[in-house]
Amino acid sequence: MEIATLAPLLVFVLFGALALGLWVGFALIAVGLVAMLAAAPAPPELVFATKVWGGLTVWDLTALPMFIWMGEILVRSRLSSDMFSGLAPFTARLPGRLLHVNVLGCALFAAVSGSSAATTATIGRMSLPELKARGYDDRMAIGTLAGSGTFGFLIPPSIILIVYGAATEQSIARLFLAGVVPGIMLAALFGGYIMLWSLMNRDRMPAAEPPVDRRETMAAAARLLPVIGLIVAVIGSIYLGIASPTEAAVIGVAGALVLAAATGALSLPGFFEALRSATITTCMIAFILAGASFLTVAMGYTGIPRDLARLIGEMGLSPYALLAMLTVFFIVMGMFLDGISIVVLTVSIILPMVTAAGIDPIWFGIFLVLVVEMSQITPPVGFNLFVIQTITGRDIFAVARYALPFFLLLVLAVAILSVFPQIALWLPGTMLSR
Amino acid sequence: MRRFLDRTYDAALWLAALTLALIAVLVLVQILGRLADRAARALALPPPGVTVPSLAEFGAFLFAGAVFLGLAGTLQAGGHVRVKLLTGALPETPARWLAALVCLGGAALGAFATWSSALQALDSLRFGSVSYGTIPIPLVIPQAVMTLGLALLCVALLDAMATLLRGGRPAYATSEIETGGERE
Amino acid sequence: AEWDMPTPYGDSVFHTQNIMQFAEDVSAATEGDIEITVHSAGSLFAHPEIKDSVRRGLAPIGETLMSRLANEDPIFAIDSIPFLASSYEEARGLWDASRPIVEEKLAAQGLTLLFAVPWPGQSLYTQEPVESSADLEGASFRAYNAATERLAQLMGAVPTQIETGDIPTAFATGRVDAMITSPSTGVSSQAWDFTSYYTDTQAWLPKNMVIVNTGMFDALPEDQRTALLEAAEAAETRGWEMSEAETESQIATLEENGMTVAQPSETLSQEMSEIGETMTQEWLEEAGDAGQGVIDAYRSAE
Ligand code: NA
Ligand code: NA
Repeated sequence: MEIATLAPLLVFVLFGALALGLWVGFALIAVGLVAMLAAAPAPPELVFATKVWGGLTVWDLTALPMFIWMGEILVRSRLSSDMFSGLAPFTARLPGRLLHVNVLGCALFAAVSGSSAATTATIGRMSLPELKARGYDDRMAIGTLAGSGTFGFLIPPSIILIVYGAATEQSIARLFLAGVVPGIMLAALFGGYIMLWSLMNRDRMPAAEPPVDRRETMAAAARLLPVIGLIVAVIGSIYLGIASPTEAAVIGVAGALVLAAATGALSLPGFFEALRSATITTCMIAFILAGASFLTVAMGYTGIPRDLARLIGEMGLSPYALLAMLTVFFIVMGMFLDGISIVVLTVSIILPMVTAAGIDPIWFGIFLVLVVEMSQITPPVGFNLFVIQTITGRDIFAVARYALPFFLLLVLAVAILSVFPQIALWLPGTMLSR
Repeated sequence: MRRFLDRTYDAALWLAALTLALIAVLVLVQILGRLADRAARALALPPPGVTVPSLAEFGAFLFAGAVFLGLAGTLQAGGHVRVKLLTGALPETPARWLAALVCLGGAALGAFATWSSALQALDSLRFGSVSYGTIPIPLVIPQAVMTLGLALLCVALLDAMATLLRGGRPAYATSEIETGGERE
Repeated sequence: AEWDMPTPYGDSVFHTQNIMQFAEDVSAATEGDIEITVHSAGSLFAHPEIKDSVRRGLAPIGETLMSRLANEDPIFAIDSIPFLASSYEEARGLWDASRPIVEEKLAAQGLTLLFAVPWPGQSLYTQEPVESSADLEGASFRAYNAATERLAQLMGAVPTQIETGDIPTAFATGRVDAMITSPSTGVSSQAWDFTSYYTDTQAWLPKNMVIVNTGMFDALPEDQRTALLEAAEAAETRGWEMSEAETESQIATLEENGMTVAQPSETLSQEMSEIGETMTQEWLEEAGDAGQGVIDAYRSAE
């Protein structure tokens, strides 16, 4: 079947299945099946099991349930609500106040977790109920979470940079370093937007908390200590060489359990409830991942992503025009496929044209991460949207609308990075000189 | 029958949860083994070298097994994500029929997945396929678990369809209403 | 026919480049009757899935590391026994001696071997110089299968599992002190970012093999089969030359980027050949008469 008919057909099947209320994982399987039947030479039933098995038996994925479990333990032991009351006095003078916790929390958490879904799920599970209880604007709380959750990919360690580095023979150490400054820049952009928004929408901010004296501030700081200790332990375990980034997630679980036991705040039923809840969230994400890996291989057979990428290559664009074109291409593809799949499917066509245009492959890795981050928050297929729907019950399209400003900030970040490539290249160039 | 099915979904979900907990335990053993090696080196003693053999591979199999075992229970708990924007606006009777149809469609896709997974498990059995790492694990074992989990998901979807056609409300819909707002 | 071909490694790896050339040769020789689309870097099927995908007919043709199949049959591990064949000449001899039985084992799974090309020899990467195995006593040594685990133990090191993507972090944070891999992988992962010493042991030359689904191969008209086999033979010759050229140029690249390149000391060489003898004996216990036959044929041809 020609791409011109196949591509619209697949989009129609996806939207149709989702609109009828079919579960997302099944909708992806349905699209994959149609693509396989229409355009692939291989028997779909054998491809499905082969690919889904291969896609889920990945060691790095085990960090996902661990981080989510850690979050569930913290929520149930009230350690997370302590953390919020501890933070409140310190943010009192900052425009936007506690709205910044999603940005800050996700940036910190991204330093341990390589995945956006885990970052969003863990931080969101703790922050959203707390922000709501304190009267913060729902849309802003959800939007900041959706946007900041994507830091998981940019701030090292990062699954997507490992995948890109492995496919293109780029140094993973350099890619990780290259992600640091852009990650901080993005957090600053998000923080700046929150301040601006809160100054312009004073009526939608909760009433200011009563001023506190020094003794109360000290007491608040003390409440922050356990969770700060936990974060230090998890990050420290990686950098002291005690645990790999994947294993560090288990340090988080163990640490959260120790803290909860020490404060006597977690009952045995609470322990099991946390485990059960983490299992459900994990199964939800993994089922969509299974559907996505089947759809990815089906798309590999149809050749749609490769052909579109090749089409862009044949346009003979200038470097800036090429990057603009690629950004549009990735945004559109990112609506329907998950980001890692797009990188895997197209990198072997795109990298040669990018290097031919004189673009640094390390820089391009960071560019890719930013566009992949966008794909996490664009409907209908965006993993951060799915995670947030699970936490809040809000529909993915509603969540995507709240996340729109942060999507636009990601586009702005891509533009800034294109004009000033040194933002990405300076750190690896300084720390790892040849 | 109702109680038997509900208990089966729930038991599988708990088995999934315990499997995830087992991964955590194995990783802890690995980390403690590494700490022991460090301590021994610092004291100029021979490192004991306690590791969990093939942890990365074994852990990945446990993860996949847990995920598939938990699929049906996750459905019952309203955990699987779907878009309710349009269906939520329908009047009750057409909504019920559409929901039954969607369950049937899900069950059909689930049957495809189960069949596919069974083919793979049988293929691994026939060729005696084993994993690649230090300890050869027969692939048919985790792949059979994957097949069972998918089959149970199919049963849960047909179960939900039957409930809808009888005029009842399936478990996933009840859970979705309960968790419709903020959780907790 | 239009054939999808999954391969595990990226486009800049010489194996992939050799396969791209092979695909072009096939297309030219069959006048476009067989068009092979190379899906590199695991983009269609990832490395662990490739062999079974070809066997199941999901892709007619694919590339995989031969020793990945070691747990299925010890014969597939023959090119990964340390210090049994540690030069191109020896590796060639071992391949000539083992090829018939490897083909036979693959045929039992419905797979036909087209060609195999070795990686450059596996050598030591460390942060400190290695004069003898005493320098590795108690060190964490990266092991990724049974053979590398045994090698680490015999050198007195502690075998440690590190996933590929985790290697730079593991070295930087001290979870691993040594690894053994080819100069190609050393360059492509930019090993100078996290290690300082390269000891040129060239312990073994593992091969990638290109396999095709026998049913789909036999279904081709005879002239196309001949064209494939001829292109495969050319690819094997070319690949071995590329590999040998690669060894020198990549070691030079390691050196240019500041790594200290050293030949193994006399002590280390002596120790290594003893380890090689032990591991060959242990392999023979597993591989039985079939294995003994291959080793005898290899040694008598020397
Ligand atoms: Na990260
Ligand atoms: Na998206």
